[in-house]
Amino acid sequence: MTPLEILLAAINGTPAPRIPIFCNLLDQGARELGMHQRDYYANGENVAAGQLKMRARLGYDNVWSLFYVGKEAEFFGCQNILYAEDGSPNVGEFVIKSWDDIATLEVPDDITAHPAWAETAKCMRILRAEVGATHPICAYITASSSLPALLMGMDKWMELLLTGPADLRDLLLAKCAEFFQKEVAAYRAAGANVLVYSTPFGSAYFVGRKRFESFSLPWMKRDLAPGGVGGIVYYCGMAPFNEVIAQVMDELDINIHYISPLANLAEAKRIIDARLPAKGGKGLTCGVIDDIKMIQWTAEETRAEVKRMCEMGKPNGHFLFGTGVMPMAIPEANIIAMLDAAFEYGAFS
Amino acid sequence: MIDKIIKAYNEAVFETDKEAAFAVVYAAMAEGLSAEDIVFKVVIPAIEEMMANITRDPDANLAQHFMTAQIAAEVTEKMLEKFQQPPEMIGRVVIGTAAGDLHSLGKRIVMGCLKALMVDVVDLGVNVPPERFVDEALAREAQIIAVSAMMVHTATGENGARRVRQILRERGLEDRFRLVVGGAPYRFDNELYQSVGADGWAADGLSAGKMIVDMIRGMKREAV
Repeated sequence: MTPLEILLAAINGTPAPRIPIFCNLLDQGARELGMHQRDYYANGENVAAGQLKMRARLGYDNVWSLFYVGKEAEFFGCQNILYAEDGSPNVGEFVIKSWDDIATLEVPDDITAHPAWAETAKCMRILRAEVGATHPICAYITASSSLPALLMGMDKWMELLLTGPADLRDLLLAKCAEFFQKEVAAYRAAGANVLVYSTPFGSAYFVGRKRFESFSLPWMKRDLAPGGVGGIVYYCGMAPFNEVIAQVMDELDINIHYISPLANLAEAKRIIDARLPAKGGKGLTCGVIDDIKMIQWTAEETRAEVKRMCEMGKPNGHFLFGTGVMPMAIPEANIIAMLDAAFEYGAFS
Repeated sequence: MIDKIIKAYNEAVFETDKEAAFAVVYAAMAEGLSAEDIVFKVVIPAIEEMMANITRDPDANLAQHFMTAQIAAEVTEKMLEKFQQPPEMIGRVVIGTAAGDLHSLGKRIVMGCLKALMVDVVDLGVNVPPERFVDEALAREAQIIAVSAMMVHTATGENGARRVRQILRERGLEDRFRLVVGGAPYRFDNELYQSVGADGWAADGLSAGKMIVDMIRGMKREAV
C-alpha cells in the first residue's frame, strides 16, 4: 500500500500493514540542502527539494507545503520576517499596529495571484508531480479566530477580543474568514490533501468552554462552510482540546484530531472511537509525541515513548503517529529512533 | 461586607468582565473601603484565587489569566494614586522576550500580575538582546531578570536565557540577580529551564508572579 492508501485505511478503519507515520520537519530542510534559511525559503523549489529529500531518506509518510507559519501575514503586507539559523522564521513586524489599521486591511481578491503565493505554488507543483499520487501532501491554514494573532500579536488580539468593540473585532474576523476560505480553496486546487486547520482558539484552554461555544464555534463554522471539511485536521497549536472533541465532531463534522502532547491521549482516542459509528466509521486520532522533550531524551527514551503511544493508540485502529513542532535542536539520532520505533510498534501483525 | 466584595470582584474577573470588576471596586470605595484595602484585601486575594482555580477548575483558561492580570494591574495602578502613603514595593524585575521572539502575551500576564503584587516592573519589550537584560538589571537595581520565549529556538538558543546566564557568570553577577524564564517550550519539558541556566520557571503567568515574589523575598532574607 502507498502511504496515501495507509492514511485512508486508518481513517476508514480498513486493513493496513501499519499505522500512518507523519513527521513535520520544516526548517531542517535548509540544513538538508546546506542552505541558509533565508535562501532556502526564498524559492519554492528548495522547499520541495528539502521535503522530498528528507522524506526519502527518513521514510515517513508525508510531505509539507508549509514554509513557515508567519507566511500567511505576507498576504496582508508583512515584509519583515525574522530568520534564524536554529529555528523557525517568525513575523518580524505586525501589519496591524493600531485598531485603525483593521479598516484598511485588505484580503487579496485572488490569493493565487499574490506574490506571497508564487513560491508556495511552485513548491506544490513539484510535490504534486513527484509524490501527489502516493503520499499525503500537508498544508497548514490558520483559522479566522487565530489569524489575528499573526497580524497584530497575540496579546493585542486577546485585548481586542476580550475588551474591544465587537464591530471592529467582527470586521477583522470577517476578513480573516474570507482569507481562510480563499487559502483553503487554493491549497485544495494545488493538490494538498491533508489540510491542518490551525485553530488555537478552538481549544477551551485558550478561551474557556463558554467562549468556545459563543465565539470560536460560529467562526469555525463560517471558515469551513464554503469548502467543507474534506481533508481537514483539527489542530489547536499544541494546546489540549479533549473536552471539545465531541462537540467538534458533532457540530463541525471534523473527525480527524491532532492531539496535544499535554492532553490525555487515551482519553482522546476513547472520545473519538466512541463517535465512529455515528460518523460512518470514519475518524482518526493523531497521537503527537512531545518532541520538545526529544531535545534532551536519549534514543532509548524516545523509543520508549513511541512504544507507549502506539500501544495506547493502535487498538481498534483509526490511529496515526505524528510529531509536534520538531525543533531543530533535536539530535538526528532521536529522529531516526522515533521513526524506527513508529514503524516497529505501529505495525499490525 | 468584604467577603461580598471579594466574591463580586472574583466573579467579574472569572467572566473576564473588566467593566464589572471596576464597578465592584468603585462601589466598594463608595461604601468606605480604602485604596489599600482594595489592593490588599480584594485584588491580591483574587490573583491567589485564580492561581488556585488553575489546578481546581478544568475550565480555567488563558483568557482568564490575561484578564485577571490586566484588570488587577489597572485597578492597582489606580488605587496606588489614592494610597495614604507611597507603598513599599517588594522588589524590581526587568522583563522582556528573548532575542528573535515577538510573542508578548505571557510577558503581559506576568507583568500585570507582578504590578498587582506590588513589584516594580521594567518592561524591556520584545526581541531583547541578552546583554540588554543584564545592563538594564544593573542600571535599574533589579533583583530578577525574566526572559520570556514562545519558540523553542528562542527559549533554548544562544541568544536567549542561556546567553544571559553566561553574561552574568562572565561579569561576576550571578549572586546579584536571579534568572527566571517562561513560555510554551518550558511547559512541554519541565526540566528545560535548568538546561538554559535559569533559576526558576512557572507554568503560567499568574504562578510566575508568585514565584518571582517568593524569590525576591528569599533573596532579601539571604541578604539579612
